[in-house]
Amino acid sequence: MNVRNVALVGGVTTKFGVRPATWSELAQEVGAALFRAVPELRAEEVDSLFVGAAEPERFAFQSHVAPLAAEQMGLRPSRIIQRTELACASGQSAIRSAYAAIASGLSDVAVAVGVEKMNLPSMAEANTAMACVMDRPWDGPHGATAPPFFAMVAQRHQLEHGTTDEQMAAVSEKNHRFANANPSAQFYEKKFSREKLLHLPVVAPPLRLGDCSSMTDGAAAVVLVAEERARRYTDEPAWIRGTGQYSNFHNLAHAGSLTDWVGLRHAASEAFDRAGIGPDDLDFAEVHDCFTISEIIEYEMFGWCPPGQGGRFAADGQGDVGGKLVVNPRGGLLGCGHPLGATGVAQAVEVVQQFQGKVPPARAVPHPEWALVHNLSGSANVHSVMVYQRGGAA
Amino acid sequence: MSAVSRPRRTSHSGTSAPSAADSALPATPLPAPAPAPAVRPREKRPFLLDFFPLDTPDQTRLSAFYDRLRTGRLSTTRCPKDGTLHWPPRVACPDCHTEQLDWVDLPEEGRIYAFSAVLGGAPLGMESEVPFAVGLVDLEGAPLRLFGRIEGRPWNELQIRQAVRVETYDVGDGRFFYRFRVRD
Repeated sequence: MNVRNVALVGGVTTKFGVRPATWSELAQEVGAALFRAVPELRAEEVDSLFVGAAEPERFAFQSHVAPLAAEQMGLRPSRIIQRTELACASGQSAIRSAYAAIASGLSDVAVAVGVEKMNLPSMAEANTAMACVMDRPWDGPHGATAPPFFAMVAQRHQLEHGTTDEQMAAVSEKNHRFANANPSAQFYEKKFSREKLLHLPVVAPPLRLGDCSSMTDGAAAVVLVAEERARRYTDEPAWIRGTGQYSNFHNLAHAGSLTDWVGLRHAASEAFDRAGIGPDDLDFAEVHDCFTISEIIEYEMFGWCPPGQGGRFAADGQGDVGGKLVVNPRGGLLGCGHPLGATGVAQAVEVVQQFQGKVPPARAVPHPEWALVHNLSGSANVHSVMVYQRGGAA
Repeated sequence: MSAVSRPRRTSHSGTSAPSAADSALPATPLPAPAPAPAVRPREKRPFLLDFFPLDTPDQTRLSAFYDRLRTGRLSTTRCPKDGTLHWPPRVACPDCHTEQLDWVDLPEEGRIYAFSAVLGGAPLGMESEVPFAVGLVDLEGAPLRLFGRIEGRPWNELQIRQAVRVETYDVGDGRFFYRFRVRD
């Protein structure tokens, strides 16, 4: 079977933050914004809808959210309608599923949307939802949530490689600074110097508040089409050139060394091989900085620096403008917030908007051709990677 | 680039910790099925808001695990065919898929591999326990690295490689669970 080329032709995000809006209202909002952002799109030509949503059952007490989202967005999918759930990578799962559907010929025009409503009147209830991502009957009763797990990762990385709190703060400062140029970011208006970040309260030692992404409400949506239709929507599509994914454990007992993310090396290798490029060919990357230590290890696993040198890479500004490549110009999860199902879609929106020259100068990557999106999920036990190429010939 | 080609997948069977001979642990028979453990009558709480597992035979095929916790023993399953020690205990071997598994008691002593603490943002029912320490512990004499609460010292007095032991405890409603306590 021939695999068709797939173009991501446009997308949009809502404002991320603590939003006075329900799950359904966020879906309506992003639907309306999508039709404004991609004016050539007609509702009746969208044959498939993929809905990234991590925990609507917990956060909104709502299941069967795919048809709910379709109704909110004004869509009547005739080929594929489904939800994708992969915790923090639910949004990228929606895009990967849309990609597979179009590449195989099952779909011609698909929308991938991510929606998450996380802020509840009782934050203990929201924290309970987050804890359910872990192996509930075994890890859950001990109080396992993301912060203490990634804190252990940071502790081991500091022990094994001498990584410092200051190096972790460098990641946070960079991503918050980019978020100051992104009006849809949760922390668009908040300034964080390294000094300020190093004096924020400790959440899970050694991680401070500024090392952790936030509980965020938000939605994002993108349009994906088969190659022959791409020019109807834009002259600057983002072509999906490679994908890779790897899942190698779930219970925390199987997390291995904590600092060697084997699954990410496999997922990256698969995505690079399919795209026919290597890590040095990228102009920018949207990677999963749920915690500062995550971005530091990702520098190493993608091969942008040697193992153990991620902290130094951050402190030297190698992931910043003027460095080896720009990492998280959108502002990352640290600066934009992390509405679980929406994050992966919002990262893809950043890719197509960078390619189309639609971002403010303060975060614009000069002349980008290749970009990468990465999400981890859970306890970094699953890694999902997509490689995009700018416009030009298919 | 440092990314590598895709090798055979790692086992799901708990092979990440330092090695020790699995066979050093003797297989132990299941506890006698009767009499039922002396537990208080249980209030039926909504499971939705309760992190502790439903441990009775009408809800889980691993009720023997919880029966052993009540006698102070932390146990798991082992595949009699390939000798793989599982964590958590299973009803089917992930490697050879047999459903005939042995029960073995795990060593009670271990050392901290990594730890942190929850200083805020605890789930429902755990808010009053903040701050509490959690960690990954390498069991001594079994190739397992288990996650759990660490009691007996404030979190900021814990050390990597610190000696801990397994203890079991009453959750408060007759159910039992396990955690670690710093050894003196």
